[in-house]
Amino acid sequence: MKALTANRLTDGDVVFWTAGQWVERFADAQLWADDDPAAVEAEAAGKNQPKIVVDAYLIDLIESEGLWAPISYRERIRALGPTNHLHHGKQAEGGAMIEALQHAHGAARSTGRVNLIKRK
Amino acid sequence: MYQYDTIDKAMLADRSSEFRGQVARRLAGDLTEDQFKPLRLMNGLYLQLHAYMLRVAIPYGSLNPTQLRKLAEIGRIYDKGYGHFTTRTNLQFHWIKLADTPDILDHLASVDMHAIQTSGNCIRNTTTDPYAGATAEEVDDPRVWAEAIRQWSTFHPEFSFLPRKFKIAITAAPKDRTAARVHDIGLVLKRARDGALGFEVIVGGGMGRTPYVGPTIKEFLPVNRLLSYLEAVLRVYNRHGRRDNIYKARIKILVAALGKDEFASQVEAEWAKIGEIADLPDTELARIRGAFAAANFEVLPAQSEAFEAAKASTPAFARFVRNNVKPHKKSGYGIVEISLKGIGDTPGDATSEQMEVVADLAEQYGLSDIRVTHEQNLVLPHVKLDDLPTVWAGLRDAGIGTPNINLISDIIACPGLDYCALANARAIPIAQHIAEKFRDQDRAEKIGELKIKISGCINACGHHHVGHIGILGVDKKGEEFYQLTLGGSGAEDASVGSMLGPALPYEKVADAVDTLVEVYLRERQGDERFLDTFRRTGVTPFKEAVYADAH
Repeated sequence: MKALTANRLTDGDVVFWTAGQWVERFADAQLWADDDPAAVEAEAAGKNQPKIVVDAYLIDLIESEGLWAPISYRERIRALGPTNHLHHGKQAEGGAMIEALQHAHGAARSTGRVNLIKRK
Repeated sequence: MYQYDTIDKAMLADRSSEFRGQVARRLAGDLTEDQFKPLRLMNGLYLQLHAYMLRVAIPYGSLNPTQLRKLAEIGRIYDKGYGHFTTRTNLQFHWIKLADTPDILDHLASVDMHAIQTSGNCIRNTTTDPYAGATAEEVDDPRVWAEAIRQWSTFHPEFSFLPRKFKIAITAAPKDRTAARVHDIGLVLKRARDGALGFEVIVGGGMGRTPYVGPTIKEFLPVNRLLSYLEAVLRVYNRHGRRDNIYKARIKILVAALGKDEFASQVEAEWAKIGEIADLPDTELARIRGAFAAANFEVLPAQSEAFEAAKASTPAFARFVRNNVKPHKKSGYGIVEISLKGIGDTPGDATSEQMEVVADLAEQYGLSDIRVTHEQNLVLPHVKLDDLPTVWAGLRDAGIGTPNINLISDIIACPGLDYCALANARAIPIAQHIAEKFRDQDRAEKIGELKIKISGCINACGHHHVGHIGILGVDKKGEEFYQLTLGGSGAEDASVGSMLGPALPYEKVADAVDTLVEVYLRERQGDERFLDTFRRTGVTPFKEAVYADAH
């Protein structure tokens, strides 16, 4: 599965794409199957919103505790917040999705970000 | 302390106003991100993992209480009530909103502060000895020269678009507290037999993916020729530095490629062309020097009854004095190091409340002088021994009285993957785990000086190459692993650490450090520091112990 993420221009906050909108919680993110062309279309649409977000890219997901979590450690930290201040960032809100992200294990970079790095 | 004049103040106001316009144009869509990014970076504004990060310049790590209180206020209003002191003696706010940044720059300008030279391929904040003006070891006050370099380098049109960033450090004491030998330029102030002052000029040191201890290209540069010589070095670098490859763009690569003798001869030729016209006029030097005139020290006896009584009656105070208080050039005074390495805390972080406590103590007991160290601590350089028990109590009550300066838990750590967009692995939790493991202060003192430095990527912001124990976070197929190096030093005996062996997983690092320490305690002879023992024994006993455990 995949999700689309970016940082919001005005405050740098991590945001996720859902049905044409950017939302703050990973729990609200729209998910696509790996081979769903809609993911790439959404990425193109996200990249076309330079007044709203910076650096939109797709991230890969894995299953964790029955929910979907970003496969890369970096993306889980973005979706949660820093591990040295557990009351900072999105993790402060708590809940099942946050716990699933905190317990997830994965060992790969997201392909979307690798592409982003290559492009730069 | 150097006071900004009306020109300096007008310049900061203009800069802030200019950035306000640039932010407005970006938000309106009149500037693309590619156009805006270099502009925001010139004002120290990065986009990190969770938010924007604003890096505020603290020229040569020197602050007055008003400025520190302003940083505390900004932390409270615009961040989450804290700030993070860096190895460049700057301060970073990690939770900044783009739209707030122009207001923050206005706040900073109101106390003669800014974010200039904290990013981009320019001459960055020049760092110096945090004990400047307080230690008897120095041959001159290095802040005078750091301030001269600040004025010369700020907005210098020729050196604002160098091949890569450029860092200068100055020490005026033989004991190097600035890591001068691993800077693009390290300057060591010396006094010749005839009394003349000069700089040993070291060029081409550095860390990152290609670490070098810099070679000396000039043994004795008369101090009054400093700026013309720096101009010659920068000009040779600007002309020949690699702009085609970011990984080979630092001056260290050029110096290594040309060889120090050829590089030095090119600098000499350029220097001869420049001549004395580029040097600081004596009148201007005298004006700057006047800003650093000796503080109004009282004439005090070397012994303080209050100080001795507190040491005798309060073991915790005595421990603080042993580790955090250093000799002052004036009798009856001490230099107080404030550790921002509380056990289990984030290295270099200070809350707004802690900053205010330090500002108050500096104002009341420290001649209103505060310094930031490149090891991410603070210093009150001038405290009367009579006042030390009170200052210690104030620090302790604010949670910043940890007596661990230069001990194993006094760890440099970059923000790492918890914050930084470039990082491959976390650095902060590794530091926290190690500090917890050595929480026992008696054991920490028994181990003695041991400098651990942790970076979350090869850019080496955490100075891991020059750690007695260096720890580098790497990404192995998306998982955090840590490469250990031993035997590095950023001090006057500078060296680049050598690799211990294969990288270790996250959960094994603190145990491995424990094992290294046990080997050291077993092998130690006499008063050897960890570094001395390692240099005598070599890596073998350490390697055997760590990898015996790992398997």
